[in-house]
Amino acid sequence: MIRFLARRLIFALLLVVTVSSGALFLTRLAPGDVTSNLGAFARPEEVARMRARFDLDRSAAAQWGGWALRAIRFDFGDSFLYNRPVGGLIQRAAGNTAVLAVAALSLATLLGIPLGIISGSRRGFAPALIRGASLVCLSIPPLLTSLLLVFVASRTGWLPAGGMTSVSAVDAGWPSWVLDVARHLPLPAVALALPIAATFERLQAQSMTETIHQPFVIAALARGVTWDRAVIGHAWRASLRSMCAIYGLAIGALLSGSFVVEYVTAWPGLGRLMFEALRARDIYLVAGCAAMGGVFLAIGSVTADLLLFAADPRVREGQTT
Amino acid sequence: MKARLLGIAVTAAILLAGFAFWRSTIGPESAGAPALARRSLGEGGRRGGQIVGSIRAVPRSFNGIVAREQTTVLLSLLTQGRLVRVNRSTFDLEPWLAERWNAAPDGRTYTLHLRPGVTWSDGTPFTSADVTFTLQAVFDPKSESVVANQLTLAGKPIVATAPDAETVVLTYPVTSGPGLRLLDALVILPKHKLEGALAAGTFLNAWNSATPPSEIVGTGPFVLREYVPGQRIVLDRNPRYWRKAADGTQLPYLDRLVLQVVPDQDAELLRLQSGDTDMTMSELRPDDYVAARRAEDQGKLKVVELGVGTDADAFWFCLKPEAWKKDPRFAFVSKPEFRQAISYAVDREAFAENVFLGAAVPIWGPVTPGNRVWFWASVPRYTHDVNKAKEILKGIGLEDRNGNGVVEDAQGHEARFTVITQQGIGWYDRGTTELRNQLAKAGIAIEAAPIDNGALIKRLLSSDYEAIYYRPLSSDLDPAGNMDFWMSSGSGHFWNLEEKTPATAWEARIDALMAEQASTIDPGTRKAIFNDAQKIFAENLPALYFVAPRIYYAHNARVQGVVPSVQRPPALWSADTISVR
Repeated sequence: MIRFLARRLIFALLLVVTVSSGALFLTRLAPGDVTSNLGAFARPEEVARMRARFDLDRSAAAQWGGWALRAIRFDFGDSFLYNRPVGGLIQRAAGNTAVLAVAALSLATLLGIPLGIISGSRRGFAPALIRGASLVCLSIPPLLTSLLLVFVASRTGWLPAGGMTSVSAVDAGWPSWVLDVARHLPLPAVALALPIAATFERLQAQSMTETIHQPFVIAALARGVTWDRAVIGHAWRASLRSMCAIYGLAIGALLSGSFVVEYVTAWPGLGRLMFEALRARDIYLVAGCAAMGGVFLAIGSVTADLLLFAADPRVREGQTT
Repeated sequence: MKARLLGIAVTAAILLAGFAFWRSTIGPESAGAPALARRSLGEGGRRGGQIVGSIRAVPRSFNGIVAREQTTVLLSLLTQGRLVRVNRSTFDLEPWLAERWNAAPDGRTYTLHLRPGVTWSDGTPFTSADVTFTLQAVFDPKSESVVANQLTLAGKPIVATAPDAETVVLTYPVTSGPGLRLLDALVILPKHKLEGALAAGTFLNAWNSATPPSEIVGTGPFVLREYVPGQRIVLDRNPRYWRKAADGTQLPYLDRLVLQVVPDQDAELLRLQSGDTDMTMSELRPDDYVAARRAEDQGKLKVVELGVGTDADAFWFCLKPEAWKKDPRFAFVSKPEFRQAISYAVDREAFAENVFLGAAVPIWGPVTPGNRVWFWASVPRYTHDVNKAKEILKGIGLEDRNGNGVVEDAQGHEARFTVITQQGIGWYDRGTTELRNQLAKAGIAIEAAPIDNGALIKRLLSSDYEAIYYRPLSSDLDPAGNMDFWMSSGSGHFWNLEEKTPATAWEARIDALMAEQASTIDPGTRKAIFNDAQKIFAENLPALYFVAPRIYYAHNARVQGVVPSVQRPPALWSADTISVR
């Protein structure tokens, strides 16, 4: 188990280094740089100062070397946009994204898995309806969903049309603040959760259909176990293997999907921060966001492995022997 | 009897309709200056309440003399004061922290008398020492001030002395046409808070966006209460603000102003329509006008026509000879006649209709009717005439010799160009499409290449392009504050950046005229000189301007006392007079 975790942690570290370094190089190589924010006709000395401040007057390799050395000490450089250290910005934004991701993942799980069990273990109108709804949710990109939800929210006033907290929460205490965040959460969480819930539903349904034809389920049914108990008590647990594997990817998808959802719904998370950083060619902020994105992915991957470990005795046995 | 009653009713209805029509023709302009003046003094507002505005970007600094992006400028307007203010609605110079001044006959020395009794938001008295300190900070090289250039004349800084606590004497190195108007860019900062940073050489990073709000003091109508990066900025009323309304009410009217960060403009409009926010910091896009009007009909928004914008889209060719290397097309691109032919070929009315959905007016130069002081209505015009365009092209040896619809020179080099523009901007897409369609009729072929803004700027600065369609923003409405654009050596002389010596005789002539107007004090003489420069520009057309957009602004219907301006921010430049119902 310890060796397994150690391997995973080394992989996670490599992932973070690769993703953040790649982001730094790509931002550096893309046309235009942070100085374009100074406007088309900034004075040359102003441009030169800005280039020096962000190490753009050095070669890409030298810039990466300097950045990597500082990053070891958890100094990820300064952000041009925010004019403050990248570390603090990422910390705050990652927290906000985590709140959104947990909400969206919970919603996707609560919706996707039960619906997948139903559509994978039954026949008739309801499973067909669920399949159709899933296909629609899979086809609509989060951009469209979030725009639609913001539009509905702004027209109906049922939910706040964006942001994470209301202005009224400025002077409010913690309980009011939490309630206020909870009011703002459904809109981006639903926009993010729908395609993931649909993915879960489809996978769960497919896995369930395969599992209920396995000999151990047929044997259980032959022993007189009811259909529902056989499905929930026997087939579902065995069918979770593929679901656990997809969880890590789902966390990654949440992060990449949150780019556009956070931007449209003005949720102050990591996705929006990275989007703004990319637009402004804010090189160290991009690299920092990508590093945190890598951390999210690594956490997702390790979580998926641990879930699989817990859910599937075959994996446990394979690990212990 | 019935017929008589019917007649009376019809007559009354006609009279009422006539009266209503007459009332509707009285717009903001014909309502007269006194009404505007009353509004700018904030008479009649209700004290209390808060408004929520949206901003699309976070501030880089709270120090208005080291950063100049839109949000920092906005925060400077809200939290700080200047010695004098250029009223963004009337363009008049107004006393602000300096309540009066005297100009010496030499045109270089100004004695400013500071408003007595003004204090910083922390209670410290505001004195002339703060003014001299601010100028010292501006000209300290370590400050890297963004206003130092504007306050440097003939390579020398403006010198400030303080004979007493309420008097400041400013000595300009040379006579300056704009005079005290230059000081509109100078935010006065508190010596007692920042002198340590200046002495330590850390002024550039003092009051950066990580500074605790309680550390930031000002003489403006609001004080910073909270800044949550990426989310919002909360400003509370400055209880020590010096300004009062005409009826004696202490300004500002509002208790609180919240600026929410909403980076996406579509989401910004939706939030405005839903009432989540009360105002934005930018004008409506042409595409959003109908939706905003609909919301106005429902009583949610108020849509205001601000007038004609002071900046317009430009279309220009790279006129730097080195950039074209041996490309033979430069032989005709560099000829003013070629660009004149383009100007004749473009139907500006159709351009306004198709690109700006009718909300634009034809123009023939960079100074639009929105710049009421410096606009010259008699600038040379090119009335739409495709035949005339073709005739001019033929005159310089360009005609369609092979019948493919594109003119070429005698050696067969076609007038075919790639025009780069910024991607994702609706009117840029429509503008380049309209240009392509209209110029095709004269035999000039253009192909649009929308690219990212950063890449566009990089190519512009390295003169790596054939033609560009873009909206370069002017740094000032006064031509003396916009010398970078007019002077051939300027960094904003975008068709041929930073020429070592004027590349053409007409550019040399404009250089001389601009230098002359910048050092002329008499406004009438300055205007006449600048008209000459505009005439030369319009004859040689280094950049072509077709239409200037009409600017519309929308805010929540509950917001009152907005004094609209065509310059950004359209409403919050005068935030102290805004109130809510």
